[in-house]
Parts: sequence; C-alpha cells; structure tokens
Amino acid sequence: MKKIVILLSIAVSAGWGCTKVDETVYDKYAANNFYGTAQGADVALAGVYAQIPGNWDGVGYAGADRGWYDLNSMSSDEQVVPHRTTGDWELDFARLYLRQWIPSESFINNTWNWLYKSVFTANLAIEQLVKANADPAKIAEAKVLRAFFYYLLIDDFGNVPFYTDNTLTVDKIPQASRTEVYNFIVTELTANVDKLSPTRGGTYYGRFNKWAGYALLAKVYLNAGVYTGTPKWAECIAACNKVAEGGFALHAGAADASHPLGFKYYELFGDVCPDDETILAIYTKADVVGRNIFTIRSLGGTDGTRILGYGAWNGSVVPKDYLQKFDDNDIRKRQFRFGPNPYGPQPSGFINYSIDITSLDNPGAAPNEGARDQKFFPVTPSSSGGASNDFPIYRYADILLMKAECLLRSGGDVTLAANLVTQVRQRAGLTALPGIPTLDNIYDERGFELSWEGHRRQDMIRFGKFLQAHGLAPAADNHFLLFPIPTAALNTNPLLTQNPGY
Amino acid sequence: MIKSRLLKPLLLCLLFSLGFSYSWAQDKTISGKVSDAKDNSVLENVTILVKNSNTGTKTNADGSFRLNIPSLPVTLIVSNVGFATQEIKITSTDPVSILLVNASSTLSDVVVIGYGTARKKDLTGAISTISSKDLNQGPVTNPLQQIAGRASGVSVTQTGSEPGTGPGIRIRGITSLIGGNDPLVVVDGIQGNMDLLRQVPPNEIESVDILKDASATAIYGSRGAPGVVIITTKKSKAGKTSLEYTGSTSFDVIPKKLEVLNATEWWEQGKIWGVPASANHGSGTDWFDILTQDGFTQNHSLSFGGGANGFNYRASVAAILQKGVVLRSDFKNYIGRIQATQKALDDKLTLTMNLNSSITNTKGSPQSVGRAAFTSNLISNSYVTRPTDPVYNADGTYFTDASVFQYINPYAVSQTVINNGETNNLFGSLRADLELAKGLTGGWFGSWRKVDANWGYYLPALSTVTYAIDNKGVANVSNNRQNERLMDISLDYKKKFGNHNLDAIAVYEWQNQTYQGNFAQAKGFINDIATYNALQLGDLSKVLPGDMSSYKNDRTIVSFLGRVNYSYATRYLLTLSMRRDGSSVFGANHKWGNFPSASVAWRVTDEAFMQNQKIFNSLKLRAGYGVTGNQQGLGPQNSLQLVGASGITYFGGQPITNFVITQNSNADLKWETKYQTNVGIDFSVLHNKLTGTLEAFTSTTKNLLFNYSVPQPPYPFGTIVANVGSLSNKGIELMLNYKAIDKKDLTLILAGNVSLLKNKVLELSGSINGVPLNTDYVPWGPNSYLIKGQPIGTFNIIRHLGKDNTNSETVVDQNKDNIIDQGNTSPDRVMEGSALPKYTYAFTPVLTYKNWDMSMLWRGSGGNKIYNNLRSSLSLFESLGKGNVFKSAVSLGLFTSKYGSDLWLEDGSFLRFENLTIGYRFNLEKLKYISGLRVSATGNNLALFTKYKGLDPELNVSGGNGFGGDGGIYPRTRSFAVGINVIFK
Repeated sequence: MKKIVILLSIAVSAGWGCTKVDETVYDKYAANNFYGTAQGADVALAGVYAQIPGNWDGVGYAGADRGWYDLNSMSSDEQVVPHRTTGDWELDFARLYLRQWIPSESFINNTWNWLYKSVFTANLAIEQLVKANADPAKIAEAKVLRAFFYYLLIDDFGNVPFYTDNTLTVDKIPQASRTEVYNFIVTELTANVDKLSPTRGGTYYGRFNKWAGYALLAKVYLNAGVYTGTPKWAECIAACNKVAEGGFALHAGAADASHPLGFKYYELFGDVCPDDETILAIYTKADVVGRNIFTIRSLGGTDGTRILGYGAWNGSVVPKDYLQKFDDNDIRKRQFRFGPNPYGPQPSGFINYSIDITSLDNPGAAPNEGARDQKFFPVTPSSSGGASNDFPIYRYADILLMKAECLLRSGGDVTLAANLVTQVRQRAGLTALPGIPTLDNIYDERGFELSWEGHRRQDMIRFGKFLQAHGLAPAADNHFLLFPIPTAALNTNPLLTQNPGY
Repeated sequence: MIKSRLLKPLLLCLLFSLGFSYSWAQDKTISGKVSDAKDNSVLENVTILVKNSNTGTKTNADGSFRLNIPSLPVTLIVSNVGFATQEIKITSTDPVSILLVNASSTLSDVVVIGYGTARKKDLTGAISTISSKDLNQGPVTNPLQQIAGRASGVSVTQTGSEPGTGPGIRIRGITSLIGGNDPLVVVDGIQGNMDLLRQVPPNEIESVDILKDASATAIYGSRGAPGVVIITTKKSKAGKTSLEYTGSTSFDVIPKKLEVLNATEWWEQGKIWGVPASANHGSGTDWFDILTQDGFTQNHSLSFGGGANGFNYRASVAAILQKGVVLRSDFKNYIGRIQATQKALDDKLTLTMNLNSSITNTKGSPQSVGRAAFTSNLISNSYVTRPTDPVYNADGTYFTDASVFQYINPYAVSQTVINNGETNNLFGSLRADLELAKGLTGGWFGSWRKVDANWGYYLPALSTVTYAIDNKGVANVSNNRQNERLMDISLDYKKKFGNHNLDAIAVYEWQNQTYQGNFAQAKGFINDIATYNALQLGDLSKVLPGDMSSYKNDRTIVSFLGRVNYSYATRYLLTLSMRRDGSSVFGANHKWGNFPSASVAWRVTDEAFMQNQKIFNSLKLRAGYGVTGNQQGLGPQNSLQLVGASGITYFGGQPITNFVITQNSNADLKWETKYQTNVGIDFSVLHNKLTGTLEAFTSTTKNLLFNYSVPQPPYPFGTIVANVGSLSNKGIELMLNYKAIDKKDLTLILAGNVSLLKNKVLELSGSINGVPLNTDYVPWGPNSYLIKGQPIGTFNIIRHLGKDNTNSETVVDQNKDNIIDQGNTSPDRVMEGSALPKYTYAFTPVLTYKNWDMSMLWRGSGGNKIYNNLRSSLSLFESLGKGNVFKSAVSLGLFTSKYGSDLWLEDGSFLRFENLTIGYRFNLEKLKYISGLRVSATGNNLALFTKYKGLDPELNVSGGNGFGGDGGIYPRTRSFAVGINVIFK
C-alpha cells in the first residue's frame, strides 16, 4: 500500500506540475508590446503607407486591378476592358463602363474593404503615435492619411460609417452623412496640414508633406459642391495657392529621343515621379512594393513580347470618343497606340490596333480592337505581373487646372485662368486656346492631361457629364452617381442603409 | 506413434533452443486432447505450457498431449496460431478436453474502447469493430480503404486516385464547421491526425475499432468529438515464430473520360462563334490522352515475430509503390516497424515498446496550375486546352500562344515541372503497466512522433507557365516539421464482488504538438540543371519578400479523465466517464472545459424471464449521452492580437519591412461542444444466423467555432473566429449480418449496412462582445450556403430557364421584379438540396467454398447534389477562342452566362461495385517450409451506376468550405490486382 501511495503522489505531483496551457507565441509579436515602443509607433505610420500601393486582390490606390483605381477609371469614359472573342476577360469590367454595376461587384467590395482597412491602420497609427508621445508632425501625417481615406470613401459611397477609435464596436459606428464626414475631413486637414514637413522628395517622397496635404484639401474643396451642395471655390483656390508656395513647376515636356514615347513629359509616369511637378506619388517596385500593370494590361500579347520581352494582357483600351478628342499635335496623344506606327517603321510582330470597338460584352471585341495606352511605359523591374512605374496621385498640372476651374466657376480672374490652362497646353506642345477657356475646355483639358490617373469619374460628376451617353455606353440613371454599399458589408452590418436606387 | 516418438526429441531440442529447461523429475501426469471448437476436429502441434514454469509440450497428430508435472493444481496455457490462447486450471489427473476457439471470432469479442478494452457484450456505447478478416482486400494504399463500407455511420470517400492521397472519413456526419471533422486516429495508443494512417502498413492491421457516440468518445475528450478510429496492429503470439509475406500488384486504368471537342469539331464551332482564324493552330491533339498512362500499384509486406513466455516481438517492413495514371504522379511509401513486449518483476510489470519509421517519396503532378480564370490540377487543364494547338513548335520547343492570356501547355508542365516530396515519419512509444495490488494497475505511457516533410519544387521557364517565364525559372524548398508528444499516467482498478463487477480508470494526460518549418525560394536561373538543389545559383538580386520565411507554433492539451465501468449480474451495465481538458489555443479565461458522459445497457436475454423464449438468441438495449469538446481544427494563436510581417513598405525614402496586425483576434475563444444522445439495440435471432445492430442518435454542436463574418469597419478583416452558432445531426444506422449458408465446405454470409443522416444548421447568428453578428446565408461552396434551418452546403441557386437571342443564359425571375438578384439571400434563388448525402449503404457478401473464398463490396450514397463547376466552365462558347469546351456544350449552345444556375447542378447519388476479391487457399501439409499459401485476384471500382456527368460523383464531402463542387479531379481508377500471401514454417 505504501508503494501505491508513493506512486499516486508522483502521479499527482507530475499532473499538478503540468497543468499549464498558456499559449506561447514564437513567430509573431504581441500587438500591445510591439506598438508600445517608439519604434513600433514609427512602424505603425509606415504601415499606413503600405496600404496605398496597388496590388493583387484589389488593394491599394492604383497600380493593380480590381480595386479603387479600376472602379474610378473604368466607370468613366477614359478606359474599359472589353470581353474578347478569344474568350479573355470577364464581363464585369464592361459592366462598370456601361454603368450596369451591381452591389456584389468585386471592384466595389475590394474598394470598400481596402479603404476601411486603411482607416483601421490609420486609427492604429494615430493611437500608437499619441501613446508614444511622437513628433507632432508624424501624428498630423497619420491624421491627414485618415482624412484622405475618408475623402475617397465619401467620394465613392456618400454616407459612410465613421469611426476614429478602433476599440469601438459596430453598434457605436453609425453611418454618417456625406456632409458630416466632409466636415470632419476639412476640420482635420485644416488643423493638421501646417504641422506637416515642407520637405519635398527625399525621405518625404511618397508621403504627405505639407504641399500634398494642401493638394488634398484643394481636392476636397473642389468637390464640396458635389458632397454637400455648397461649393467652396474660393477655399479651393486658397489651398491651390498654398500648394504653389511649395515651389512646384511643370516638368519639361520637350522631345527626348531616349524615352520610348519620345518626350520628357512621360518621365512623370516613369520610375521616379520628378518632384518638380509631382506633389504626391506612390513609390512602386514590382513584386516588392506594389506594381503598375497599366501598360501591360493594355497591350496585346505579342506586342508585349515584342516591346517588353514578356506577354501582355490584351486588356484595357481607350474608347474611340475619348481618344478622338485629342489633337494630333498633342504630345499626350503619344500615350496611345492604334493603327500603323505613325512615328517610324512598323517592326515585325507589331499589332495594328483598330480604334473601333464593336462589342464590349457579347460576342466581345476582336483581339486587335481598341486603342491602347502606354502612358506608364514599363520601367524595370518588370514582368507580365507588372512594372515599377511610380504613380502620381497629385501633380502640379492638376493643381493649375483646378485653380483655373475655380476661377471660372467663381467669377474670378479669367485671364489668370486662361494663363494657367495655357501653361498646361504649351507644355504638351499645343497653343493657347482662343479666348477665355470655357468650363468644357477645362473638362477636356483635364481629360487630356490627367487621363488614366484616376481622376476621371470625379471630374465627370463635377462637370455634370457622368450620366450622359458616351461611346458605347448609353445614358444612365441618377443613382449611378454613387456606388452601392457592397453586398458583403450590408450582410454583416444591418445598421447600414443602401444608397438609393440599388 | 512413430511420428510421436520422433517428435518428442525434436520438440525438446526446440524447447531447449528457446531457453526452456526440461525436468525429468516429474511425479504427476496429466493428459488431454485439444480440438477446434467449431467442428470438433483435432488440433495438432498446439503448444501446452504450464503457467509460471518452463514445462511444456505440444499435441500429437491426434490432438492428444501428456505432461508430467510436480504437483496439482496447475494452470495450462494452451495456444495455437489462429486460435485464442486459453488458460485452463487443472485440479486432477483426469484427462481434459480442451476446445480452442478461432482467434478471429474471439477478437471481435474484444473491443478497444480507449484507455482499455472491453468485451463486446459489455459495451454500452456505439462502437463498430472490423477485424482483419473483414477488411477490404486488394491494392490497398491507405488503411481507410480497408474499412470503406464496413461500418454503418462511417463514410469513407476517395476523391480520385492520385498516388499518395488517402480517402477522407466522416463519422456520423459533419458536426463542426472549422473545429475539425477528421476523427482522432489512435494506433496502438499513439494519438494523431489522419496522416498517422499513412504510417500503418495495411497488412499489419489486426482490427479497427470506430468509436461513434459521445459515451464512447468522451474518454478522448477534446479530440474525440468527430469520432475516434482505433487501429490495433498484429502482435506475435507466445510460443510460436512466424514469417509471412503478403504482396499484390495491380494494373490501374481510367474507366471514364470526359468528352471535349476534337480538332475538327472545335473549328466547326469556332467558325460559328466568331473565333478568329488566328486562334486555330491547325493541329489535332488529344491532351487528355497524352497526359495519361496506365498505372501500377504494388504492395509488399514482410513480417516476422516470435515469443516465449513473458516476451514477444513482431517486426515488419512494407512498401507501397504507386505509379499514377497521370504522367509523373508517383508515390512510394516504405514502412518499418518493430514491437516488443516484455514481462518482468514476477509478471507484475509489462513493458511494451513500439518503434515505427516510414519514408514517403512523392513525385507530384502540380496541383494548382492554369490560367487566371481556370486554375486546377494538371489533368483538368487538358480539358481547357484547344485541340488544335500542337504540343511542340516546328523547332521542337513546347508550343505556347502569346495571344492567350497566361497560356499554359499542360504537356510541357508535366514534363518540366519538378515537384518532389519526401516525408520522414518516426514514432515510438513505451507503455509500462505495473500491477500494484490485486486488481490495481498503474500505467505510464509515452509516445513521441516526429514528421519531417521536405519538398522541392522547380518551375522552369520551359514549362510555358507565365510566372516561370517572367522569372526565368522558380525554385523553392520547404521543410516542415511536426513534433507531437504525449504522456499519460493511469490507474486502473478492477474488482469483482458477488454480482458486482467494477472497472475504474483514472488518467492524467499531457500532450504537445509543435509545428515549425521554413521556406526558401530563388528565381532567375541561367539553366535548368540544378533545379531546386542549389538556390544560390539563382539571381539573388531578385530576392523578394515572401521568398524566405519560417514559422513555429504549438498547442498544448492537458487532461484529467476518469471512467467507471460497472456491471451487475452481467445484465445491467453502466459506464460513466468524465474528462477535464485544457487547451492552449483558447482565450485566457476559457482554456478549460468539462466533458462528462454516461451510458447504460441491459442484456435482456440474460434475464430469467427470457430463458423460455425462442426468438432472440441475444438481445441488448443500450442508451448513452455525452458531451465532447472540439478544438483540433482550430489553429493556434487565434485568440491573440498579433503583429506579423507583410512584405515591404516604402517609408522615409527607403523600402522597409511592413508590420501588420495579422488577424481579427478573439480573446473569448472557447471550446466547441457537442452533446450527443445514442440509443441502440444489438440482437441475434434465428439460431444466431441473423445478427444486427440498430442505432439512432442525435447530436447538437454548440458554441460552434466558425469564421464568422464581421463588419468592416471596425474590423480590419472580414471574418473572425468565434463561438456563436449551433448545428444538429440526427441519424439512424442499421447493420445486419446473415449467415445464409453455414456448412463445412460452403458458407455464405450476407452482410450490409445502411445509414441515414439529417444535418441542420440551427443557428449561425449570435453576438460577440455583446454586438450582434448577423451571419446567415454564408457561402459555403459553389452556390451552396450555410442557412439557418437547412443542412450545411444547401444549394440556394438560381433556376435555369433557357437562352436569349444572343445565346446568353436566361434564368427564372422568381419574384418577377425583372431583376435577377444574385445576392446570397436573393428571392430569385431557390433551395435545391444539399451537398451532403442523406443516406449511405453498403452490401458485403462473402462466399466460401472449400478452399475458395469470394467477397464483394457494393457501396453507395445518395440524396446529395453536386455543382459541376468544371462543366459550367467548359460549356460556354465565350471562351472557345482560347480554350475548349465539352461536347455537351454544342447542344446547349450557350455563349455566356451571368449566372451560376442549376443547369450545372446534378444528382450526386451513386452505387459503386467497389471490390470483388476471389481467393484460393492451397493445402500444403506436405511442404517443408510453407504452412499457408493463398492467392487472390481483386477488381476495384468495377462498375459505377450514377447519373452524374463528371468523372466521378465521389467527391470531397468533408463538409469544409468549398465542398459540393467539382472543379476537376484526378481520375478515379479501375484496377485489377493479383495478390499472394505466404506463411512460412
């Protein structure tokens, strides 16, 4: 019996000694400990910027597919991906262009999820930076980033859930009106942009410096009328003037035989966006930080092999009506590829793209239909999975045209407005417009200058053109001015109200 | 008697050589005769040993024996190969008559119940036992193939015949969504996941016990909820050496081919549908044909063993070699094992050691290749490749077409991609049982299992895969290590007093599973010579985030458990068990769970009032209720908010590592629990000719672990692992065994089983942190959903109508609002059945005539639907320009479809003639070295009766996300095998 007692007590003590079932984490950091350090706070801010480059699964501002960029570009008149008779391409791209989208489109869901994950990341960064007593400029930077995401949210979706504290539960996050969120953005920006660093380029390349902050504020004011019904033309002009204090100028447009498209102008869309004109850019290095697929997606397969050394996707094309507005002397027309090569001999394997597109969905376009765009002519490292061209979010040419538009709309100095437009036109190899520019002139000029840069839908809405018929797209109902709240979001949050008409 | 006289000295030599000493100084003689209990035929060569001595003898040709002993009484141990060993107490010198009972029939009498055994007649829970003689025969590569169709309520499904892939198993349906539905596998006490089965040589299995209801599985607590498969391997018997070889070779063919357009038909259709002539490359290639071949499966196993009083061992080596029916898909599995038992300390201590090592080599056909819009296994890519594409260009290089987005040449892939895996498995265990006092046994058990899986992959630019061309070759190696340790300490007390019989056990158990590994990748090779063997030869300037990584995580489970088996007068049986489990994977305050169970049984035929009835030879009623926990399917770390690396971000003028929150964390994660009630009847009627078991059960899983959808905002990710919903399963199972003919030379047994199962999602909504979660109509597969009140995987689908004048598919607008809403809860969707079969059945007759035996397995299931993804992708002419379509697409004439309609939803019912084995056992009395020889021929998958249009209706019915669809499978083969079994003297 003694033996038994001993054995039992061994068993029991062994048992008692091994009742720990705590979880050990070996290959990650616990969030609380990690962000609690000064280094963690810095990394939290860097993490917000990681949200911006475009990548697969529809994340990011621009660079890859099925995200914010496609939603805001393919729904305009500047580009579309037609279904092909060869069987390539799903029909949802064409639905965007034809204004037939439905709430379950991947573009819409991806954009929503990306923006709200970005807001979460920004909230996290702000919380951690404040906790760590970080440099106020960094806190301001994170707040401006959050305002940027909310601006993109109200621009696409109207009334959206609004929160600035990650610990809140969903019932505490009401769907705020577009005006309320607009007011938050304006307040947040005006309180913070002056705290941002005035440094251009260098360690601030790809970041919100003071000038990028004002450019964002100018954009918000420019569209205030659309968002709230109350235009803010004067405020937009003031913000544009603030940007100008940064010392920006238009990058040279001059002919340059060393560039594949023949002009220095296209350096704006190359490896590094030149900081004379670029206010805010997305740093891109394919497969490392984001990717830029825009030219690879556009060119035909063999053309890609011929020019770039790898197959291209035969995807996005420029609608004829959009392309035909360009003047033949406009160096910006060089971004397009159609017809036989007008700039030199026709190399073997060259695809002669027809400018006409016969069908977007059924039976689809023939393989060589539709003009192509090479504005972001691929820079290395590049492959059929994307190139490394940086992407300009804001550049000075845009600011000049915004200011000209506001001057015209608010009855300001029209001569100054004409001068601003002329600067942009002359850089592109064009002459000044005869007389004072009209709003339509500004609208068209924005199309020429900013094509495929993600501004077109917003511009079309502000100029009242969005619902009109264009190209192969018939006129559309009023409700298409806003995108629907994605089905998945409505499924998980019963407190959300769908936008009217969906 | 001459023979007998010669035999004695021989026997003596043998006994001496085995370490026995023989004493001539005996003063009492006992004698007797040993015969077979079945037919009273005498048994020769039976070993008779006097217990606790070295005295022994063997029976003569007439079954008789004589033995001198010093004094009475003695206990004789009577053993013979193929029979159950008996201990017989001899109190006088009167001749004794000993009847030996066939081992296989006694084996089914003992059932492994987890941390112990019980006699079948004492069972109170739902347990199916399959002994080695009832296992399916033929070219078996995984033990589950041996039990398919053999037990009710146990569904074994094999999806395709890809070498190295085993079948799936579900016991009593799908009771969890992500908590895990794979049963716990226990091999000689070692617990593991399904991959443990790969380490068991199929020919070395003595019996398989399947614990089905909660009262049986509760003893395994947290890991027992989806059921338990217990495998007991063969052991050597005392006093006898054995040497046995079993082998089979099978020839495997593809019984069914999916019909796609040939080159002529393709171009005829191409012209109709406006395919540009540039897409027609003028060749005529049957891609399926050039990617397939005849397969071979070989199975060899050699086992030997022996034993003496207090010691026995068994060793075996086995090889399973498969050459698949798709080019370059091979699998080899080599297993070696040794098992030894030693008694010591006056037989009070028993030590059992087990060592098992296996090496598997896989040459895998790539699993996930293809164009952006069609990613599948390699063989399914043969269907989508245009028949007019040549295999090679004129210059001998592989053909590819730059004008097709992400074109791949499947033949080039099969010839150039290298995907090799080697897995080294090692497990060992030691069990020590010490008799502490009469009836009280203390036990210690430790097991350690290590699995190292190493994969090398090389994707050369030659493969025509875009990613490989872009990167000039991609090579990677990945190494994954599992380290699973388990230790338990037990106390077992058995006591019989009067009519009371008590068996109680208490166990403390600790287990830890650690998973770690690393991955490295290089790209940009100047040639393809070194493949993945020298990553440093790649272009290291191209190293990207994701090209190297490593991980480690673990799980610890600590348990205290106890069980009491009590019976009164052999008629009234009671089992009570209680287990308390703690698991590291849950939130800090929810780590522990309690899992009790109780079951009772009543052996009605043992009652006095039943002695005069003639109907029942035996009748037992059983009922049980139990609670089990589930966590094995839940990965570690879900309860914590963690930061991991996610690529690179550009900040401060340079690219830096990007840190992100990796998941929505849930500090409230707790045990998923299953509450199960079981009632059963075991009966035997018609003079034991008809035996059967009828069972009914209901189970409800609560606190259902699931990836619930949560709103963004505020969550950064769309789902969170939480315990919210509940799920119910109800079923009826019937097993019958009828001895239609039972004569000396001719026996016919008709056996079969039927299981009916009803699954229902009770609740998917609830709240987390006090905030309501609105989760219903969760997509769970192609057009299938989790819908409250419906079975999981319910097809809620838009109904096909026809086509419009542009050949676009039209569908039924159910609510007539002129809008086809494709949302999950759309009123235009209608429910059209579930992906889960409602019934499964099997028929397993066995016929023996003299030395011949024949067995069959017919197996079927039905009541389920399959969404034929493959047919839906290969039936639309919109993609004809870049690919091919099925012949059936021509009559449909659809250009495109915006919908996933019920046009592609098909009946998944089937009946398969799965196995036919005919064997012959030679009479070999006269041979010097061979005591037994059996040859057999087996046909597998000989016929399939189904309306399903895909390759095979037996698809993934795991119940996991995505099941119920057919996106293209590796072909299920039909095989013809010959086998041999030799037992040496």
